[in-house]
Amino acid sequence: MAVLNETLSTDASQIASAIPEMGEIITIVLILVGAYLIVKIADFLLRRISESAGRYRITVTMVIPLLKIIVYVSAVYFIILTIFDPGLPELALFSGLFGAAIGFGLKDIFADIIGGIVIAFERPYQIGDKIEVSGTYGEVTDIGLRATRVVTPDDSVVSIPNYAIFQEATASQNAGKTEMMVTIDIFIDPRSDADLAMDILKDALITSKYVYISSTRPYTVLMQDFPFYRRIRARGYVNDLRSEFEFRSEVTRRAWGELIRQGISPPPPGHVVPNKMEE
Amino acid sequence: MGSEPDFAADLSHPILHEDEWNRITAVVDAFENERPAHIAVIADPFAGQDVLMKGLLRRYSDRVIHLPFFSVVKGRDFLTQITGHKDIVVMDHCHFLATRKIGGFAMVDAFLDHLSTSERLFITQWNSFTWSYLKATRHIETFFPVVIVIPEIDSKTLKKLMLSRYTDEIEFVAGEPSGNDLLSTDSARIVKLPFCEKQYSISLPHLFGGNGESGKRTGVHPEDAEDIAFDKIIRIADGNYGVAERIWDGSLDGNTLRVAEIPELPCAISLDINESFLLTIILSMESVSIVDLAEIAGPEINLKQTLFRLTHQGLVFEKKGYFGIKPEALGCVKGYLKRIRMVW
Repeated sequence: MAVLNETLSTDASQIASAIPEMGEIITIVLILVGAYLIVKIADFLLRRISESAGRYRITVTMVIPLLKIIVYVSAVYFIILTIFDPGLPELALFSGLFGAAIGFGLKDIFADIIGGIVIAFERPYQIGDKIEVSGTYGEVTDIGLRATRVVTPDDSVVSIPNYAIFQEATASQNAGKTEMMVTIDIFIDPRSDADLAMDILKDALITSKYVYISSTRPYTVLMQDFPFYRRIRARGYVNDLRSEFEFRSEVTRRAWGELIRQGISPPPPGHVVPNKMEE
Repeated sequence: MGSEPDFAADLSHPILHEDEWNRITAVVDAFENERPAHIAVIADPFAGQDVLMKGLLRRYSDRVIHLPFFSVVKGRDFLTQITGHKDIVVMDHCHFLATRKIGGFAMVDAFLDHLSTSERLFITQWNSFTWSYLKATRHIETFFPVVIVIPEIDSKTLKKLMLSRYTDEIEFVAGEPSGNDLLSTDSARIVKLPFCEKQYSISLPHLFGGNGESGKRTGVHPEDAEDIAFDKIIRIADGNYGVAERIWDGSLDGNTLRVAEIPELPCAISLDINESFLLTIILSMESVSIVDLAEIAGPEINLKQTLFRLTHQGLVFEKKGYFGIKPEALGCVKGYLKRIRMVW
């Protein structure tokens, strides 16, 4: 009986020591606020620096999620140190509570956090990339501990849980580079001069104010024949992926202006032109 | 055949671009009418390429057909001028053969067609930014087996060039004029920022010293003041001969040059896409008329407003309807446009 009482009193004292006092609560709050402020300030500064870094823009933003993880993991570590003496019984107790919390419904959040760590270190995509995941296409504006925020072309902000990295195929259009390949299609009447149309589209592409061309970033112009129309497809790199749609619009507008001037017309009405790119 | 004068006799600047001159003349002297090794001389604006081209005209005057372009070429008439028995064609400012618009490559294509079948030796001079653009878009380098890039000059070369102009001695003063030298800035710390190719100089004030009228009184030997002055000019000019010459001329007060009074040019450009594009065109063409700019810009760009903003920011100047990059803004403009990859 005496042994039982002694065991109970030891457990009670351990639990009591695990309950933070007022001073410890203030310390914890300060650690959390400090971590939050560090992350926010670093995030702000790195984004500012990235804007002046030109082609290294995305390389700089790559540091942001990594930094968040380091700061928040450090904050959690210091909180644990504040609450417990880092002895084995306390760690066991904490692990038990943590495991129970995960089992009782935090497992998704935990999976998201692990996903965030994987994203930060493996870098399947980075802040500033254009990605397609879970049917959502857009620019990554933030990689948080729990979710990745993506801004779609129509300016909607979509939060994709980081856990999706384990389940979904993720396509990055630029893979960390500032430039990105853009495909531009125009469809012309099959009776029109396709060679001339190709020349015009090529000129419109390479003279665009958004284009970037180098030996590793070439452009191509291709033609494909369909029953009721011909498709002229140009592929080239936009110098900053944020200008993807402006690039496409500018090239198309200028090309059509010249095509019409040269007597090249769109396909006859009544024939359906695909609005989605084949292949 | 051309006469055999020495290097100094051919060129107005006996020191500038000697290696490049030797390379060109070696190619020309080895030229026989079969398989000419056409030459492309590539240079930034104001880099001193005219010295080479004039030297060639002088040295091979009896062999040369000279075709200088002064504005955008709009007809193929220039090709009809390449006639007669002369075996070398020297073409200045070939960047005017291409225009960055739909159908804007017709003249350069016609020229390259002509060059491909000609037995003459073509010596052509191109703006480096147009050359890079045509290299990426038209593979123009494949037509020119000899490509000579005009390099940046160093401060020693600049010193020789500038001092060779004067018979009287130039006095170099390290500090501020008298009365101003409590915080004189006769030394500077060179700082290189991340992601930025340009170096910045932070002047370090010193609180001692006399009236600073000479190098000795500021603790700097006059010969050191001379070197400091040329180092500073060449750094600000980014090694560009023409820009350095302009800074020199602007800083020289009679026979005195004060290091502290060589103006540091602040570089803080922030432009929208249309402004950047027009600036790219002006940089690539060196001097372009408002009519040609309007054709390139198209209806999407409000030309007058954009040019006003570029002029107002001190990046371009206008002279008789033609726009060019301000020499003192060249380094800044180059750095900015390269950073945003409007030029490459």
